[in-house]
Amino acid sequence: MGIRATAVVCLTLVAAGCASADDASITATTERFLSGAGQGRGGQACLLLAPEAARSLDECERQIVSAGLRTGAVRGVDVWGDEARVRVDGDTLFLHRFPEGWRVRAAGCEPRPGQPYECEVEA
Amino acid sequence: MKRLIRDNALALCFLLLFLLSLAGQSAAGAAAFSEERVAGGGSPVTWADYVTSSAFAVDVAENWQSEYLQFFLYILITVWLVQRGSPESKKRGEEGLETDAEQKAGRHAEPGSPAWAAADGWRRTVFSHSLGIAMGLLFLLSWLAQSVAGLAAYNNEQLARLEDPVGWGGYVTSADFWNRTLQNWQSEFLAVASMVLLAIFLRERGSPQSKRVGDPHSRTSSAG
Repeated sequence: MGIRATAVVCLTLVAAGCASADDASITATTERFLSGAGQGRGGQACLLLAPEAARSLDECERQIVSAGLRTGAVRGVDVWGDEARVRVDGDTLFLHRFPEGWRVRAAGCEPRPGQPYECEVEA
Repeated sequence: MKRLIRDNALALCFLLLFLLSLAGQSAAGAAAFSEERVAGGGSPVTWADYVTSSAFAVDVAENWQSEYLQFFLYILITVWLVQRGSPESKKRGEEGLETDAEQKAGRHAEPGSPAWAAADGWRRTVFSHSLGIAMGLLFLLSWLAQSVAGLAAYNNEQLARLEDPVGWGGYVTSADFWNRTLQNWQSEFLAVASMVLLAIFLRERGSPQSKRVGDPHSRTSSAG
């Protein structure tokens, strides 16, 4: 295998490694956030919200639990730079990568034709 | 060393200007990108993050592709079209590929001619069009890079706006892609047309891109 072919393979593996590490981190954050919100652990869920999203709720720990967010298996993760969309059964979430890790920018999102998603919680 | 620099001063000057401009663009771009991020509720980015981002890549590539397209078309179109009075043009009657004798190709090659200029078959054909081929390939590669980096930057913005990402096919038919592309093309074409026309009537003494100061406006294809 030539040097260029080796370099291409290495870059592909590095990119795939980054993507899978991101996917795993995003999936873990999403599952912890949804289980916290769905099982009455508002404090846990609020810690995983982006600061702007947390500030949009007057009483985060109480409101995040009563927002009616559905817990479900993660069906797909799309990552573009520092933004991600996560599809779970019956719900869509948007996450942003902060220096401290991935945080939920919007949750409980429903698609609207030709418009941004409408979300129960959003920054 | 001094001689080497003097012999290549024109290329070195522009390469240096290119690097300084690219560095300046990266610094200013990183600052602007961070401001937008913070205003949108996100986190600021470092310079290193920005210069490895799709946002920086698409801004660079969209300008590169248009510059290479400009030179590619200029090289090709001036084979066939003339502009009376322009030092950028051949004279009327000289349109076309010209003969091997005029081009010093094939059996008309001189002792110092490149080997492929004297060669027969595909090598002479390729070498006869190598400048256009190189510019055309650089244009296509830059445009492809713009589309790939643009897709990543566009989808990043889509997700930040809580909208669905699109595929490559969707992006290259999107308004964002063609807005980025055409806003660069129009400026390049205007600049070329301006140069072709202004160089008929105006002069820059000593520049090979200009006619000689005393040349008549009607004289085509003379450098001074």
